[in-house]
Amino acid sequence: MGARKNARPYSKGIQMRIFGIFGGYACLGLSFLIFFEIIARKLFNHSLQGVDEIGGYVVAIIGTFGMALAAVERAHTRIDVLLFRLPKKVQAILNLISYIALGIGAAFMGYMGWYTLDESLTFGSVSSSPLQVPLWIPQSLWMLGLVIFGLSALWTAFRGVLALRIGLKEAEKVLAPPSINEEIEEVRK
Amino acid sequence: MIDLTGAIFGFLIMLGLMFIGLHVGIAMLATGVLGAMIYFGPPVLLSYGTNLWAVMNDFLLTTIPLFVLLGEILLRAGITRNMYESLTDWLSRMPGGLLHTNIGACAMFSAVSGSSVATAATIGTVALDEFKRRAYNEPLVLGSIAAGATLGILIPPSVNLIIYGALTNTSIGQLFAAGILPGILLTLVFMAIIVIATLWKPSLAEQVTEVPPLTDRLSRLRYLLPPLGIFVIVMGAIYGGWATPTEAAALGVVLAFGLAALNRELSFSMLHEAFIATIKTSAMLLFIITAAFFLNFIVGLLGVPQAMSRTVTDLGLNATQMILILVLFYLVMGCFLETLSMMVGTIPIVMPVILHLGIDPVWFGIFLVIMMELALITPPVGMNLYVVQAVRGRGELADVYRGILPFVAAMLLTVGLIIIWPQIVLLLPEALF
Repeated sequence: MGARKNARPYSKGIQMRIFGIFGGYACLGLSFLIFFEIIARKLFNHSLQGVDEIGGYVVAIIGTFGMALAAVERAHTRIDVLLFRLPKKVQAILNLISYIALGIGAAFMGYMGWYTLDESLTFGSVSSSPLQVPLWIPQSLWMLGLVIFGLSALWTAFRGVLALRIGLKEAEKVLAPPSINEEIEEVRK
Repeated sequence: MIDLTGAIFGFLIMLGLMFIGLHVGIAMLATGVLGAMIYFGPPVLLSYGTNLWAVMNDFLLTTIPLFVLLGEILLRAGITRNMYESLTDWLSRMPGGLLHTNIGACAMFSAVSGSSVATAATIGTVALDEFKRRAYNEPLVLGSIAAGATLGILIPPSVNLIIYGALTNTSIGQLFAAGILPGILLTLVFMAIIVIATLWKPSLAEQVTEVPPLTDRLSRLRYLLPPLGIFVIVMGAIYGGWATPTEAAALGVVLAFGLAALNRELSFSMLHEAFIATIKTSAMLLFIITAAFFLNFIVGLLGVPQAMSRTVTDLGLNATQMILILVLFYLVMGCFLETLSMMVGTIPIVMPVILHLGIDPVWFGIFLVIMMELALITPPVGMNLYVVQAVRGRGELADVYRGILPFVAAMLLTVGLIIIWPQIVLLLPEALF
């Protein structure tokens, strides 16, 4: 899906791919960090403290931001066996409902996440490790990711509505589960 | 506390939500919320808040993006075509010729990549190119690629095994070790089926009579080194006891990165494509995992495990009978559900039964993954069949359906073998841990 035509009413508007690139660098950096930790531990009997803890934060944060990216790029798994066999109009409605539901689900996760963050802020919780990280720091980034996830799901639904005004085909490009050919394109890129 | 009817009803509601096209994670979250609201009320939902952070912040789950990244980098590291050529050198003289290369290349690619779509698309592209110039039975060619590509989720490192391990609290190291022998066995059974088919009907495959000179073949062996080397180092790090699975994954990423640099395939655009694909896939997985943990939590509170165990006791089923029922259950489910959704969606109700009957969770993890592999290739909706057909880009899907049947039989045979001899699965993990 190389060339995206942006000057359309259903354009993604926000370039979410930047989350993917940042997240990827974070994973690559984390890999090198862990690599050096293994070397240091094996060769010099010296352990860098808290690499695993940092790894946990990195994944939690890139996880929620990544969910936002996956939402706009239709990468979250859906079962389409039945869906594809329904009339096009019904498909369009169900597609729209699914993205609204995704937004609500993200909001629900955000609501639970807020409960965690609020607790950390109230009690000034720090991680029980040598790093003593104040938990609100990674948690607020994680929480921000959840909020963006919810917004991007709703944004996708909104783009779908705009595209629907042009036609069912246009709406499919925004909301329908990706076809096999699209998935293969992803692999070949 | 919920009874069996309630549990089954809940399961059907979840399936229904999936089938009308809601995102799989949402279907699980919604089912969990529904159960909690009916039986307990809202406070239970809030109590899950801290778990949500704990689940996503778990070091074990760090393994997932790292293994995905490893596969994505290797996919773009320019190793596939040479690897295929080198395997052809050695495998093509068996009856069935290049069909064996398909299986071998898939098995080897699987050893470093956990994605069956990636394996089917990558090996399929290279292989179908090779076969254009040759006289082979086309359905069998397509079938061998689609079937071979399922090995990706069984041969470690496998993201599916990590997810199973995380959800059921089973050791990832043991699961990986347990996947090795069945993976080799399945590869051999696939090859045996090809040999039998082509001996029975020689027109199915071209007979390769001459192979390149030995020196050429030996020199091309170096193309097999990168995937094999990374596999051996990553697994060796885990079983040598000097790295956790997560650390081994990180090691693999660094090696793959070095390999891509060595092959002059490394560039910003290549890296960025790999990154975006990694984050999208990982986030998709994490969302489903998070939802599955939530559902598991609610299902536990509702007493579904007890209800399920009671039912099994009342029915007087023993372990073998239960497994045979589950073979049928997963065969049917696999005809309709996407494989990962099938695994995480059924674990909450199936796992209590497994533990109740004293079935080894490591063995069951491998069993479940082989059933997922079957789901990937059973018509009408096996994912790999569509991928191979799409890569082929012409003809009828029915050709793929015909070609896959011997391999479906081979896989069912393998399931039978691990049921009769569970040691095939358990030998390595018991020896290593």
